[in-house]
Amino acid sequence: MSTRPQEAAPSTSRFGRFVSGDGAVAFVMILPAAILFCLFYLWPFVNGFWLSLHNWDGFSDPTWAGFSNYQRLAHDRIFLGALRNNLIFVVAVVVLKNVLGLGLALLLNRALIGRTFFRAAAFIPVTMSFVAVGLLWSWIYNPVFGLLNGALDLFGLGGLKQSWLGDANIALYSIIVVDVWKWLGFHAVIYLAGLQTIPSELYESAKMDGAGPVQRFWHVTLPMMMPIVFINTILGLSGAFVRNFDIVYVLTKGGPNHATEVVLTYMMSKAFQDGAMSYAAAIGYVLFLIVGLASVGLLALMRRQRLDV
Amino acid sequence: MSGAANPSLSLGNGMASHRRRLGARGILELVSIYAALVLVLMETIYPLLWVLFGSLKTKQEMLSNIWGPPSSLVFQNYADAWRIAGMGSRIVSSVFVTGSALIILVVVATPCAYALARLRFRGRGLVLAVAVAAMLVPPQVMAIPLFMVARDLGLINNRLGIAFVYAATSLPLSVFILRSFFVTLPADLEDAARVDGASRLAILIHIMLPLIRPGVALILIFGFIEIWNDFFLAFLLLRDPSVQTIPLGLVSFFQQYDSLWTLYFAALTITTLPVIVVFIAMQRQFIAGLTAGAVKG
Repeated sequence: MSTRPQEAAPSTSRFGRFVSGDGAVAFVMILPAAILFCLFYLWPFVNGFWLSLHNWDGFSDPTWAGFSNYQRLAHDRIFLGALRNNLIFVVAVVVLKNVLGLGLALLLNRALIGRTFFRAAAFIPVTMSFVAVGLLWSWIYNPVFGLLNGALDLFGLGGLKQSWLGDANIALYSIIVVDVWKWLGFHAVIYLAGLQTIPSELYESAKMDGAGPVQRFWHVTLPMMMPIVFINTILGLSGAFVRNFDIVYVLTKGGPNHATEVVLTYMMSKAFQDGAMSYAAAIGYVLFLIVGLASVGLLALMRRQRLDV
Repeated sequence: MSGAANPSLSLGNGMASHRRRLGARGILELVSIYAALVLVLMETIYPLLWVLFGSLKTKQEMLSNIWGPPSSLVFQNYADAWRIAGMGSRIVSSVFVTGSALIILVVVATPCAYALARLRFRGRGLVLAVAVAAMLVPPQVMAIPLFMVARDLGLINNRLGIAFVYAATSLPLSVFILRSFFVTLPADLEDAARVDGASRLAILIHIMLPLIRPGVALILIFGFIEIWNDFFLAFLLLRDPSVQTIPLGLVSFFQQYDSLWTLYFAALTITTLPVIVVFIAMQRQFIAGLTAGAVKG
């Protein structure tokens, strides 16, 4: 996407004089967006930070607290656990979505009968709401008559049966599988589009040099796909940090015993069950800081690799 | 998108290479690829098919016959789910909220994107920088302050209110996408109209807007999936059951009544199937739009 503004018209022409007087028109055109943005984006963002520096239950008069909410967070066991779960969640889903997404895209990139059909099928979970996906998987994971335990029985693997969402050691990973399941088609489609821009001459010449399929993947496909890997990582990363409330809430509500608590579920329970509004707001800003640093770091890395995307 | 020309090319090559060495190895390769794809199909489509099957079974059959299709079709499940989960009013809410939010979004974002792309004025760089910076602030992290602002403005449990919030949260990305479409349009068209004395607004509506229809379609598709499926902000701002949207309705139905699986599945089918049907009907535009932004043409 070009970010250079349109400055084609020479400023001496009549048109040039026209556009130099565009301030008033521009103001009117931007005003509605500016009002909407200030009211529901900028103002909550600024006001909320001010709020996080107070002690407030949401109703009585707020009292000044400085950074004490943030200091308390540093010693809040449940919060630190939620942060840890959140980071495990982010790393696992980003890696899995990229590896499996690229794998699926490579399969779909072959000349196959029914390619469109397979591609559409892989994309269907993306169109479903997290709530629908969560309900579906809470049935798949159901220990009594769920699909997964049923399938294990069917293949004589009854010994592997688990309480997938009830066991504190595996519940988080069960949720990770669901999130990957929902988004896999999305990342695969983006990889597929990227694969189709690789010139086939590159493969031809690699073949002539005697490179096998595996070597062609490592030396042609992967290097050419690096910009797409970055796009998929950025999309996956920002999503994984802040789009996990729905799925965790529907599947486990953060349980058992906070084993699947993520930052957003903890923030919401602090705000609406404990009434600790300012403390919950502080949680939001810590999350913002982490997401922001991760995104900026990734973008800087991208720029250093000269990947202009 | 240059991708449009390439796939047929690479497709042709793939076919030629298969034909060249369709020996035992080639066939084995093809079979294993199809096997892998069928596996993918099993894990995406079969669970959904099972939901459909389950929604038509009796409660007893649900437990005794996990795998197979229903032995008789119990459409009563749908009527019961519709009534108990209050689907009618939830669907009305979802349609109203999503529709209003998308209208607000297009009406507000389009002139802003146009001004940023085509007009020269002081502060343009600043506005653009703010839009980009805002994309780094996911609305979820400021849920609590957003709740406060909505409460102060009396917008809790207000469907039009949450439509404005949704429009605001989609605004930065939408302005950015639309602007990139406006930037690519040639200046000549606009110049000619200006010489004829058309106003900026008239130019925007009658000349520019038809030309960036794919851009508008893109933000509508993104916005629709996002807003229609959203649980988090709706959970935050729509607390009264009478105004709740479909995702909220499903969750409260699920958590309020224990183990009505056949009815859950009926409710799931009612809410998921229409979206899947729309997606299948439009899947080409859908996927093309999605990849256009991500992969440079």
